[in-house]
Amino acid sequence: MPMTFLIDTSRCTACRGCQVACKEWNDLQANKTRQRGTHQNPPDLNPFNYKLVRFAEYKENGKVVWYFFPDQCRHCVSPPCKEAADSYVEGAIIKDPKTGAVIFTERTRLLKPEQVEEVISYCPYNIPRLDTGTGILAKCTMCNDRVKRNMLPMCVKTCPTGTMNFGERSKMVALAKKRLAELKKDYPNAQLQDPDDVNTIFLLTEDPKKYFQKVG
Amino acid sequence: MDVTRRRFLKIAGLGIASLPLTRLGLNLGGAEAYAAGFKLEGTKEVISICPFCSVGCHIIVHVRNGRMVSTEGDPDYPVSEGALCSKGAAMLSMHKEDHRLTKPLYRAPYSDHWEEKSWEWMLDRIGRRIKDTRDRGFIRRNDKGQEVNRVDSIFQLGTSQMDNEECALSHQFLRGLGVVHIDHQARI
Repeated sequence: MPMTFLIDTSRCTACRGCQVACKEWNDLQANKTRQRGTHQNPPDLNPFNYKLVRFAEYKENGKVVWYFFPDQCRHCVSPPCKEAADSYVEGAIIKDPKTGAVIFTERTRLLKPEQVEEVISYCPYNIPRLDTGTGILAKCTMCNDRVKRNMLPMCVKTCPTGTMNFGERSKMVALAKKRLAELKKDYPNAQLQDPDDVNTIFLLTEDPKKYFQKVG
Repeated sequence: MDVTRRRFLKIAGLGIASLPLTRLGLNLGGAEAYAAGFKLEGTKEVISICPFCSVGCHIIVHVRNGRMVSTEGDPDYPVSEGALCSKGAAMLSMHKEDHRLTKPLYRAPYSDHWEEKSWEWMLDRIGRRIKDTRDRGFIRRNDKGQEVNRVDSIFQLGTSQMDNEECALSHQFLRGLGVVHIDHQARI
């Protein structure tokens, strides 16, 4: 039974505990940052940020409305990135048959630059990032080392609000449906993002497009 | 070579610590290998408390050879149930990062740079400034001529992490000076 994240954005307060905990567990180096007029920081996913809370801010009916989106790899049921990589370097991208985690290994270093471009372009969610220093492709690992030892992924473990949930796919799908039904009462546009195709299911209260804003 | 059991464990621990985890992945291949070389292997769990806000979340610190390896929330702590916010989640970096200040820094009035000072110098300086400010702003009597012995020019911002005894000590010190504006950061 593959494992699945349910990310219930209606509960997210954008504390960014998940983002920091992810960096800590994976020993990812700091980014040099600057004030860009938004709390979304760093501005995008990068080889040292597998997890990023995206902020989108609107003024609706004279009130400020914020949408928070703790972005990460979706660990697709049939990952297109793996399809692309398999034709060039075997074992560059692997899928753990037990947990369903899609993992970029050190062998991604053997991909040629144009092949790296292709792998990145195959991702429908724009997740993989190239570490130009090591030549390795980087993204969320589902904390596969923890999951295999019956521990929660670090982002889920640290989440104080119940936004980040993790468990067997059937349980998470059931929870997703339950939460969606509850949210529909207050948010008629509430929806699950591609629940059949991915193992990181986002529960959104509004149109997915609202959650992404270009950060200057 | 005289290798005691304790020393042997230390050497073994060092060996594991210095071997890059991803290298193991390359040698063994596959998803199983990727999960090998777990960073918490052989660590001891120690409970600590997050120093930031008044929630005081418990944190599990994973320690190997006296060094922090990893930190995460303690699920047995009833308030947070293992969760941590971004500040608490950064406990490992807060401990290890070389950006962290380790010596008191002083910026003189109108100066554009910081300079390192000793604790002794710094505490003397703070003491001097408190005393001068207090003496300058001390109000013996109010407009009605009533004795108030009050200082309006000093504000103390304490911490929600202080225990009762520390609060009592701090309170007595401040009241002794005549300070009446006393608060702590959890209300901000």
